Amino acid sequence: MNAIEVEHLRRIYVTTIGVIRRSTKEIVAVDDISFQISQGELFGLLGPNGAGKTTTIKMLTTLLIPTSGTARVLGNDIVRDAKHIRPVIGFIFGGERGLYWRLSAIDNLRYFSSLYHVEPEVSKKRIPYLLELVGLKDRGNEKIEGYSRGMKQRLHIARALLHDPKVLFLDEPTLGLDPVGAREIRQTISDLQAEKKTILLTTHYMFEADALCQRVAVINHGLIVALDSPEGLKKQVKDLSVIELEVFGIPQRVLGQLRSISSVDAVSIENRDQKQLLQIHSPHGSEALSEIMTCLKGLRVGKVAVREPTLEDAYVRLVRDTK
Amino acid sequence: MIRKKWLPPLRIIGSAFEMTLRQNVYDSFIIFGVIVQPIIIALLALWMLQDQASSQAIYVIIGSGMTGLWTSLLFISGNSLNQERRRGTLETLVCLPTPLPLIIFGKNLANVIQSMSSMIVSYSLATLFFGLRFEISYPWAFVISLLLTVFSFVSFGLIISPIFLMDPGIQGWQNAMEFPVYILCGFLFPIALLPGWTTPFSYILPPYWAARALHSATTKGASLSEFALCWGMMVLLSALIGFIANKLFQRVLYKVRNDGTLGLQ
Repeated sequence: MNAIEVEHLRRIYVTTIGVIRRSTKEIVAVDDISFQISQGELFGLLGPNGAGKTTTIKMLTTLLIPTSGTARVLGNDIVRDAKHIRPVIGFIFGGERGLYWRLSAIDNLRYFSSLYHVEPEVSKKRIPYLLELVGLKDRGNEKIEGYSRGMKQRLHIARALLHDPKVLFLDEPTLGLDPVGAREIRQTISDLQAEKKTILLTTHYMFEADALCQRVAVINHGLIVALDSPEGLKKQVKDLSVIELEVFGIPQRVLGQLRSISSVDAVSIENRDQKQLLQIHSPHGSEALSEIMTCLKGLRVGKVAVREPTLEDAYVRLVRDTK
Repeated sequence: MIRKKWLPPLRIIGSAFEMTLRQNVYDSFIIFGVIVQPIIIALLALWMLQDQASSQAIYVIIGSGMTGLWTSLLFISGNSLNQERRRGTLETLVCLPTPLPLIIFGKNLANVIQSMSSMIVSYSLATLFFGLRFEISYPWAFVISLLLTVFSFVSFGLIISPIFLMDPGIQGWQNAMEFPVYILCGFLFPIALLPGWTTPFSYILPPYWAARALHSATTKGASLSEFALCWGMMVLLSALIGFIANKLFQRVLYKVRNDGTLGLQ
């Protein structure tokens, strides 16, 4: 039996606009998606902001009712059997909210463990274990309002594990964390996967999905545009080469010229202090370099490198193709 | 001995009760509502009634205490679900195996018990500064009435918070809902002084029966049938409200899950 089965799931939000002349507007957040997750699998849901990742997770955690379609978690329907799903799932939504800031970490965990029906004798052992697991053993008695964002995020993970759930939903668990904090969270997720928990992880950090997930679904505008293993997704862009160039103050006009080159697939730019990293996808690799350099004539160019595509490159292509 | 199946719900109520109290001690709005405001009301009323008999002043002690209870219920318990929504904890609470009304019951219980302190404050004020002496004519009836008062207020609170969650616009009327209940429930003076057409409104409000039972327990000559009527009405209205609140919670939670308004974006 699959741990999670999603069939033609769709969710439309209806909003009203105006005061006197009220009109309604429909926003399709999730548009007919289907996928399955096996028991013990770590499955990634990748997509840009507003792609429908959080909406999907909220439906699967019974917090949102789908407009149409069905989904089952451990064989239970997310609408009809919500009360059977809730005791066996744990979830965290990215961000700092969702905890009682005026209480200590131990008090928060004590409160939630009673609400999760964890026996007091069990929670007495489990709370110190979880605090150690997430690296908060020495700060458990402090009020949460003094915690950093990363500490709150780690406490969220401890809270989600209080009742030892079979299925975990992690919505952007490393969002806004510093590199060290994010690495610690990834290690915790990896440890949980080793315990054979089924995990649905959403992220827009490609390396995170690449390092952790067995399979990845790329979602954009509410649609699943690709579903494969990270290796499989990378194979989809095997024909591509990525040319990386360090440039200084590149004007928009030049970017437009680069995009118009027939051998260039995509152009993206990333600011890095005073310089910018120009990433150009091309099926012709270094052969396209002469045309590119012609466009950049007169501009200061630093390091130039041609490399194999990563999962991020596959993602950029998939997302771009569905725009 | 408490049967085993009742242990988890009691533990949940106890846990919600404890955590609510621990958070409330840091909240200046709550401290104002349950201590400072009832003191102001008690001071004004005692000053007005200082030449009257002690029996009049007992109205003030109980009445000002009841104002604290109602204010706490209306503002603190009424806001409790919306406050959880603002904190981002409402989604977590809804996604628990515990029914939400049980958690809110525990939270309301903490707010109501905490508000009882306003009655103690009013009593101390009247005895220490105004030299008034009070006698509770029927202590046993007073204790039963007090327990049923707590129960009926906690139940009444269960109906307010889901309404505020469903439509935050109604919450804007909170201030307008505070004083009419003080008056309709006879907290500070008997409802006999009000026009006759208001009486049915008083009768459907559990705080009215609570105030009447507590006032009767401090008055000589109150009959057992009077207590039985007040207690019976408190139990009956609380049961009715509990039933309506349960249905209301189901509908409201379905609505917010359907509208996607459980959490703030």
